[in-house]
Amino acid sequence: MLKGKMVNLTKILPIPLILIVLAFAPYFLGSYRTLILQAVLVWVTLSISWHFFSGLTKYISLGSVAFAGTGLYFTAVYLNLSMSKGYYPILPLPVVVLLAGLISFALALVIGSVTLRLKGIYFAIATFGVGELVKGVIGWWQTKAGVYQILRPLEFGDPQITYFSILITTLAILLLTTFLRRSKFGLALKMIGECEDAAAHVGVNTSLFKTLSFAISAMCMGLIGGSYAIRFPTINVDGAFKTDYSFLPAIMVLLGGVGTAYGPIIGSITLSLLSEYLRVTFSFYFPIIYGSILIIIVLFMPNGIMGMVEKLKATKLMGRKELAKAPEMPP
Amino acid sequence: MWDIIFRGSINGAIFSLIAVGLNLQYGVTRILNIAHGEFLMLGAFITSIVFQLYGVNPVVSLAISGPTVFVLGVLIHIIVFRKLVHLSKSAEELEFRSLLACFGLLFVIQNVILIIIKFYPKLMYSGTPYLNETIYIMGERLELNRIVAAVMAIIISVLLYIMLRSTSAGLAVRATAQEPTGAQVVGINISKVHMVSFGLSVLLSALGGSLLSMIYPNLSPLTGPQYTFIALAVIVIGGIGSFIGSLLGGFLIGFVYYACMKTDSLLTMPVVYAFLIIMLIIRPKGFFGR
Repeated sequence: MLKGKMVNLTKILPIPLILIVLAFAPYFLGSYRTLILQAVLVWVTLSISWHFFSGLTKYISLGSVAFAGTGLYFTAVYLNLSMSKGYYPILPLPVVVLLAGLISFALALVIGSVTLRLKGIYFAIATFGVGELVKGVIGWWQTKAGVYQILRPLEFGDPQITYFSILITTLAILLLTTFLRRSKFGLALKMIGECEDAAAHVGVNTSLFKTLSFAISAMCMGLIGGSYAIRFPTINVDGAFKTDYSFLPAIMVLLGGVGTAYGPIIGSITLSLLSEYLRVTFSFYFPIIYGSILIIIVLFMPNGIMGMVEKLKATKLMGRKELAKAPEMPP
Repeated sequence: MWDIIFRGSINGAIFSLIAVGLNLQYGVTRILNIAHGEFLMLGAFITSIVFQLYGVNPVVSLAISGPTVFVLGVLIHIIVFRKLVHLSKSAEELEFRSLLACFGLLFVIQNVILIIIKFYPKLMYSGTPYLNETIYIMGERLELNRIVAAVMAIIISVLLYIMLRSTSAGLAVRATAQEPTGAQVVGINISKVHMVSFGLSVLLSALGGSLLSMIYPNLSPLTGPQYTFIALAVIVIGGIGSFIGSLLGGFLIGFVYYACMKTDSLLTMPVVYAFLIIMLIIRPKGFFGR
């Protein structure tokens, strides 16, 4: 009895500790490290959101940029128009971010309902195209309107506002996706990923569930994009819609381990910290080294970090010889 | 009107050359190379270098840029994609992983070109384009370099078609695309075919780039992904695995591209993306797909 409780304690104890550290981080980390922590949190959230849809249902979406970018750009534009120019009513920041999330949700509902009947590579191409289409259309509109830079309103100059808005969004999304993943909804999504026909046979409304989870994942991306918007003093379309937002979450999840609970978190922390380190060390050659590392991750980490940890555990338990005899674990 | 037909088909000839490459690659190796446009940039860049340094005629430099990129493509296939094929348990997994690997590749190639240009800015901007004389066809002004480029693109496509249709190597490639297991059974060395077709497809892309650099001397290295998308739209319209479909689709996108360029140049790429998405939704197999 006692032992079982102890195990539970060691599992639960780190969570409040991490929360306390995160809550006080900007007061002891200094401004530069806080900025890095912010970026890491954003990547963690993007990876979790991407994994919530693509990791579970195995429909590979490369359109994350459409949703994260829409959230980011909408928030920047709305704040600018309402606070600096007075066109729209001034709303508090959380409301604007929630609106950004809702817009991404609606956009994803529309996109998902037409593209989700495609399978495999066709879906990936379609979402990739959607991301670029949204970027292109907004870029066109921006040039027609004669706007080249969107300035951040003066009220949001304090970096701590950004940090806490990102932190709160991250925690909320973490809770939401964890809860949904463990519910029947998550089970249905997992089933779609394993075998869609079987899921349909046992009564899962596959197209509804796929579209809904696509939209929820997009909403999370929109929310984190929206709360990230005030980090930038000025922003334009190219800054808001970076192709990185589409591909890096996928690579981060792959690095951490697809289909695991902690994989997306570990993968995104590792890769974003590594990229920051490389950027500082090799400023000029950074992109080349970074690109090579992305290829190496895809090539040499088929099961990700979590897969390696599992394998290490298995070796410890069974010993090397037995492991060689044991059948391969299913992917 | 004639303007759109002439200039559109000039664009179209080059687009179909690029798209045929991407189509061959995806059809045979199941690798969707989103770094395809980067190889195009590489071809354009090599043409620009040899023109700047040695004054080589761009048409002649096709014989330099093509083989160089072919060797590079074969090397990349050996280093990266052969391992991926062994690693992946299913075709879907291979497609997903190779997509991500190609993103890394895109990053690397783009930045290698950018860094070289940073050190030697002279290499990229050639100033006067080659063969800039104009001629008149049916009352329309056309630069000679565009016509030469379009004719070269068509010749290369036709040569490739003949090669695929009537040589034994072409037969092996087609067999591998249709039925990989069956091809292996009848004694075709699949991994060799994969290697060669990967090299061949990036070669076609590089040739397309060389021809494009003849028309647009100030091609920016950052526009590579744009050409990847054009090629993607073309093969989705024509149908994956269909040579004729890619040729015709290339011309279609060429007309659309030029018509958009003329009305509102900023809307050009969004229209191409819209074509791609609408086509995927209506008929993902394309007009000529099996």
